[in-house]
Amino acid sequence: MNLNYSDEQNMLREQVLKFCETNYDFIDREKILDSDSGYSEDNWKQFAELGWLAVPFKEDNGGFNFGPIELTVLFEEFGKALVVEPYLSSVVMSGTILEGSNHPAKASIIEKIISGEHQVSVAYAEPNIGYNFLDCVTALSKDGDMFILNGSKSLVLNGGNADQFIVLATHDNSPALIIIDADVEGLSVQSFKTLDGQTCGELSFENVSLNSESILALGDEAASLFNQMVDLSILCISAEAVGAMTSSYMKTVQYTKEREQFAQPISNFQVLQHRMVDMFIETELTKSLLIKATLQLDSDDPESGKTISALKVQVGKAGRLVGQHAVQLHGGMGVSNEMSIGHYLKRFTAIDSMFGNTQHHINKYQEK
Amino acid sequence: MDISFSEQDLQFQEEIRAGLNGSEYPAHVREKREKGIALTKQDQIDFHKFIHSKGWMGYNWPVEYGGTGWSPVQIYLFLNELALAQCPTILPFGLSMVGPVIYTFGNQEQKDRFLPDILEFNTWWCQGYSEPGSGSDLASLKTKAVLDGDHYIVNGSKTWTTLAQHADWIFCLVRTETTQKKQEGISFLLIDMNTPGIEVKPIITIDGDHEVNSVFFTDVKVPADQLIGEEGKGWTYAKFLLAHERFGIAGVPVVKNQLEKLKNITINHDDSDLSRKIAELEIDLAALEFTELRTLAAIAEGGHPGAESSILKIRGTEIQQRLTELFVEAAGQYILPYEGPEGFESNRTPAGPDYASPSVAQYLNYRKTSIYGGSNEIQKNIIAKAILGV
Repeated sequence: MNLNYSDEQNMLREQVLKFCETNYDFIDREKILDSDSGYSEDNWKQFAELGWLAVPFKEDNGGFNFGPIELTVLFEEFGKALVVEPYLSSVVMSGTILEGSNHPAKASIIEKIISGEHQVSVAYAEPNIGYNFLDCVTALSKDGDMFILNGSKSLVLNGGNADQFIVLATHDNSPALIIIDADVEGLSVQSFKTLDGQTCGELSFENVSLNSESILALGDEAASLFNQMVDLSILCISAEAVGAMTSSYMKTVQYTKEREQFAQPISNFQVLQHRMVDMFIETELTKSLLIKATLQLDSDDPESGKTISALKVQVGKAGRLVGQHAVQLHGGMGVSNEMSIGHYLKRFTAIDSMFGNTQHHINKYQEK
Repeated sequence: MDISFSEQDLQFQEEIRAGLNGSEYPAHVREKREKGIALTKQDQIDFHKFIHSKGWMGYNWPVEYGGTGWSPVQIYLFLNELALAQCPTILPFGLSMVGPVIYTFGNQEQKDRFLPDILEFNTWWCQGYSEPGSGSDLASLKTKAVLDGDHYIVNGSKTWTTLAQHADWIFCLVRTETTQKKQEGISFLLIDMNTPGIEVKPIITIDGDHEVNSVFFTDVKVPADQLIGEEGKGWTYAKFLLAHERFGIAGVPVVKNQLEKLKNITINHDDSDLSRKIAELEIDLAALEFTELRTLAAIAEGGHPGAESSILKIRGTEIQQRLTELFVEAAGQYILPYEGPEGFESNRTPAGPDYASPSVAQYLNYRKTSIYGGSNEIQKNIIAKAILGV
């Protein structure tokens, strides 16, 4: 029994921490959010140079062959600074599906992702299917030797910047994962800002004509790859949430020590102290489930799916509590958009909505 | 990172499990525990004597004082197995409270005199800390001990004294000097409950049970050689006792058992709201359990569980209490017929399911958990000060 991070893992954490301290204060971040792409291309280049974009990929594909533990280290630090670069969509989500597929071009696509020159986003959500992503309406039909794609996809993370999309569609009443270029004929992309300052795209497919090389996986294989991607993504955004919770309670403690009312720092008041303790406790409990889920996923434990749902429930509830308390204890400053603290609340709210919210995962937990 | 237990630890776990399931385990204790019937003093003695007969009594003591010398992981596994086998709790007053204080701060004569009886469970200890005017503010205690030749004369009273009605001995914090700073002038005294001038009066709690007592001291003559360590250093020893690694404080395995029971009870209830609450409780329990493992991993590496163990106390008791609420919810209107703990021992069968009455008793009884052992509010003060620095 040993729950310590390895030296290598600690070095990675230090590296990300230092990067964020230098390049990611609140003003830097505001500038990034105001840019056209919604992320910093300079930062992305540095991510590539530092090797971070190679973290989860296998050595055969030019990666470092790191696992869920390293990803959670990275994301926890991202969460502390509310990093918006499209790591989740391009590296974790697309990367998991590509690497798990048998597509002949996967090595070359992954190589381009690792170098930072190429971004891929996964299109899985649709307006009328809730969180049951595999029941999608977007259809891939056969047309002689070719395939035709029709339908639409919602909430595609980083959709406006992606060079390629991995699309979840229905083919022959079973799931299919296909990869298409962003400039393919019949595809239109509209980009939106999200509540937490990131971007997403609405995709619509009108008789998009594809050949069989577009197919990444079909049937059970596609479903299993997709679910694997969702589990790992939940793990990553949960780690991000733990980082954001840590920052939230620490910033709140700092603020209450500095803010004076009634001729004393408001941190002297017990009712505020106990609220901050509640924030701390929820953060630690979330961290515990995060580590449990990480280790289970890392060792292919059959219980991991259930733990992932438990983690998502905890992240949803704790994020809400920590985020709301942080805003409350900052008083009027908490609701000011010019202070970072409210942006953590926005990120917690966004994270809860992704890949199944609290309610969804309570139900899922009960089914397992 | 690796959370698995070693082969040796798993083998150890098997040995404990086999021992607890063996024929030496007192059958009447097993039966009462399965039925949720309260144990008598003799039952408790039988159970503890059994634990001693296996050589497990000093599970958290070093070898030199007759303990097992087990590692933190072994202690964790041992306590887990006890809970899974529905054993009663090993009473902490002698073994985990006064025992370590005696072997750490007592003199040789005191060690020889008291420690073997604690391990063999020949003496039943109780704890004399709280007073009517001193709860969370324990250091304000007023029970006085005045040295008179080779005796102390003790006057005052203690309260909430758990199972004092069965106790042979009490360890007490007493004031031997009135000082500027209230933490000074406190001493740690061992007192024979049969000494003239001691009176024990029951306090009946809201569940109708007699678990706690008031203990009154009127001119009680206590031999001075029953003082532990130095006069005036009692507060240091008391803090040592509180900080002494308190394994199992979160009560995870017991809650796990109860949760399974609740699931079985409610399996045909067709109450999706209740099922949802059970699932949410189970998720919170999983988070708590892994937090305990994180603490254990830190201890196993030689670290000290700091204020973090306050999380275990706070969240553990919250979960225990929520669980009792869910049992009450499951029992519905059949919580109404209630005859208290004595009713369970009678042969009358009240209306409704057999879990109903014990559920409400447990619900009422477990309100204590967030109050005792340093109330949850005090635990939050500790975290605020020690971890958040406010």
